[in-house]
Amino acid sequence: MKRGLALYAIAVYAFLHLPLLILALFSFNASKFTLWEGFSLRWYRAALADADLVQSAINSLIIAISATALATTIGTLAAYALWKRSSTWLAGSLYLSLVTPEIVTGVSLLAFFQWAFRFLHWKLGMHTVILAHVAFSVAYVAVVVMARLRTFDPALEEAALDLGADEFGAFRRVTLPYLWPAIAAAAMLAFTVSIDDYVITSLVAGIDSQTLPMTIYAMARRGVNPMLNAISTMVVIVLGAMVLMAERLRSS
Amino acid sequence: MNRRMFLLGAAGAAACGKTKPRLNVYNWSDYVAPDTIPNFQRESGLRIRYGTYESAPEMLAKVMTGNSGWDVVFPAAEIVPPMIEMGLLQKLDHSRLPHLNVFEGIFRNPPWDPKLEYTIPYMDGATGILYRRGIAPEPEAWADLWDARLRGKITMLDDPPEVFAACLKRLGDSINSGVPDQLRGAARLAMAQKPLLRAYLNAEVRDQVIAGDVWAAQAWAVTAGQAIAAAPDRLAYSLPREGFARYCDTVAILRESRRGDEAHRFIDYLLRPEVGASIAQATQTATPNAAAQRLLPAAMRENPVLYPGEEVLARGEWFAAQTAASQKLRDRLWTEIKSA
Amino acid sequence: MLVTLAIPSTIVCLYSLLTRGAYGGVERPWTLENFKLLGDPLYLMIFFRSLWIAAAATALCIGLAFPLVLFIARSRRKNLCLSLVILPFWTSFLIRIYAWMFLLRDTGLINTVLRGAGLIHDPLPLLYNDGAVLLGLVYGFLPFAVLPLYATVERLDPALLEAAADLGAKPLDALFRVTIPLCAPGIRAAAILTFVPCLGTYLTSDLLGGSKTILIGNVIQNQFTAARDWPFGAALSVVLMMLALVLMFAARRHGEELV
Repeated sequence: MKRGLALYAIAVYAFLHLPLLILALFSFNASKFTLWEGFSLRWYRAALADADLVQSAINSLIIAISATALATTIGTLAAYALWKRSSTWLAGSLYLSLVTPEIVTGVSLLAFFQWAFRFLHWKLGMHTVILAHVAFSVAYVAVVVMARLRTFDPALEEAALDLGADEFGAFRRVTLPYLWPAIAAAAMLAFTVSIDDYVITSLVAGIDSQTLPMTIYAMARRGVNPMLNAISTMVVIVLGAMVLMAERLRSS
Repeated sequence: MNRRMFLLGAAGAAACGKTKPRLNVYNWSDYVAPDTIPNFQRESGLRIRYGTYESAPEMLAKVMTGNSGWDVVFPAAEIVPPMIEMGLLQKLDHSRLPHLNVFEGIFRNPPWDPKLEYTIPYMDGATGILYRRGIAPEPEAWADLWDARLRGKITMLDDPPEVFAACLKRLGDSINSGVPDQLRGAARLAMAQKPLLRAYLNAEVRDQVIAGDVWAAQAWAVTAGQAIAAAPDRLAYSLPREGFARYCDTVAILRESRRGDEAHRFIDYLLRPEVGASIAQATQTATPNAAAQRLLPAAMRENPVLYPGEEVLARGEWFAAQTAASQKLRDRLWTEIKSA
Repeated sequence: MLVTLAIPSTIVCLYSLLTRGAYGGVERPWTLENFKLLGDPLYLMIFFRSLWIAAAATALCIGLAFPLVLFIARSRRKNLCLSLVILPFWTSFLIRIYAWMFLLRDTGLINTVLRGAGLIHDPLPLLYNDGAVLLGLVYGFLPFAVLPLYATVERLDPALLEAAADLGAKPLDALFRVTIPLCAPGIRAAAILTFVPCLGTYLTSDLLGGSKTILIGNVIQNQFTAARDWPFGAALSVVLMMLALVLMFAARRHGEELV
């Protein structure tokens, strides 16, 4: 059974990574089209020389990291609040934000921002994109964390309170450690939906906040462009290295 | 944008550069030459913030609020009259556009803005059939895209006005028809064609025609031009006998803009023959700028995909805005076609 | 915070009751006209097909994810294994889809290899059909099933399974009688996080289905773009949102909290 499971896992990983390998392979291709013509780094040079592409990749990372941090915090607290004291309104609005189609979220947020700007002297920009990303990823975080809370025994927290911990202390010392795996999973999910979002971002983005998916959509409109493979490969390698480093730090 | 500016922005301060005067230009993606913007910045001393959009509705949704931050936009001809009507565009000051005399023929007084009061033509094109040489039938009419011998090798554009245009032309009607019976007839034709179709594809059809997955495709001139440049001996392009759709993108200044001076300078720069020619070459698109056309290399100026000549173009028809009722019916029929 | 979350849904409800502006946007008067779609078999059929495809994709996602999550939860390097699941999704959606298109095309990798091996003569029609759309959805939403499942399976006590084994349960028995019931909250969360976004999806069906089939997400998208009928698009969204909420409420067990 154990070996079967491992074989199965390898098959699923292959399914997940096959497209990634293909795109990495073609990022080293000398030809512009999907015919192999030999190894070359020209697309990496071209991608790094393209200031817009690099800038939008940096924008994307800033937005995804900020939005993930905010959404994970808010979503975890929301899940905790819901678990403590169920509120139909909070649960309802969480679910509504989850079931709203992307384009509708985008158009509504744009309309809302434009309305709010009449009172605040803001314009569309990085901050509106981050706000929008937080708005749609909070629900993902809350659902994942909630699933874990459902398996948590409230008696543990009560025991901590009985032993003299204040409520915040009990949350920090008992509940939070139990939730960590779920929070980590939720943060990854939030990061994923944020870094990959195009529909909502393109609607609420301002003059200074072109993101990587927006640049990629703009370039890919006319078909394959190996520069995009190159930049995607680089983003994955950078993020993969970050994950590996974090893992090292934790285990050491 | 650097990190400090981002923080300023996040703090709510409008992060306008106070050092150099600037201009915010919002264009379709891939629609200028790589050196167009840098050259202008160098000679004018203005800083350009250049953004791109993928679809006209995306641009319209943003500028309709009148607070988008953009100065110069590039609306498609058919949304020019609506944008004028909604008061989104600023009147152009012709005295500040010394290069306005570069246009000839239809582009001096186009149907969407007869006196060029609000917009200047920027790039134009037509929709025809991109096909593999040697297939039978060699498509010269829209009707050939209904031939069962090409089953599974045909694509149409994934764009309602274009599909309706081809079907309406096949029936001998106007591409802008709002007559319910004509539209229903066109939808029936589209449904009859659907089993023969490989897919509805837009610009991404280019690579598939080159690779040989697709043999005949309804395609924009610019897509066809790029495909044929990659495989000139295998591919060809025709503008159908029954008539076809023509399109034009324009350049305009938004009413919300307070940088009219800079915007006029930028538009006049775009009108210069050498600038227009370099854009036309880089994007492989037809330019309505006659003076720029004359500067193009002969191979490009005589390329029938981009410049098919007056006689052929006489069969073309410009897209126009639809009334709400016609739009509604068209969308309903489109949904029916897609779910058939 | 409640406000931020509720803004889009509130605005969409308001929009659905207004009249379309001539060129997009909304105008008064208030009307219920947009909800006439509820009596229209065309749109009902599209709703039904979207539900069916989303349900199939969700079932496949959870079915594929569950054994994988069991593996990850038992492995020694959990975080690494989990990161490997999510890593491909840090590239752009469009790039991943293009990679699949390259695999599935008539002149793509799979057909070329099969033809080179002499196994087939004519290329298999792998791209531009419902199967390709389903594949794209399963691929795209697999992490949305893996992560919530992991959040509950991870805390599963191996001692429980050992106890079940000691009591004579076969591995499959233990799976169905012990593991799955204990992971029910995670399975439900996974189902919600895959089913709901699947229901509103439109790009996958466009790119891998060749736009030949239409899902409710495509119709809604169309109203906000080409058709410029925002109120109708909003009304369709309201119906979709209600449908999703009703299904989510129906899926919970009697007397249980949502989620």
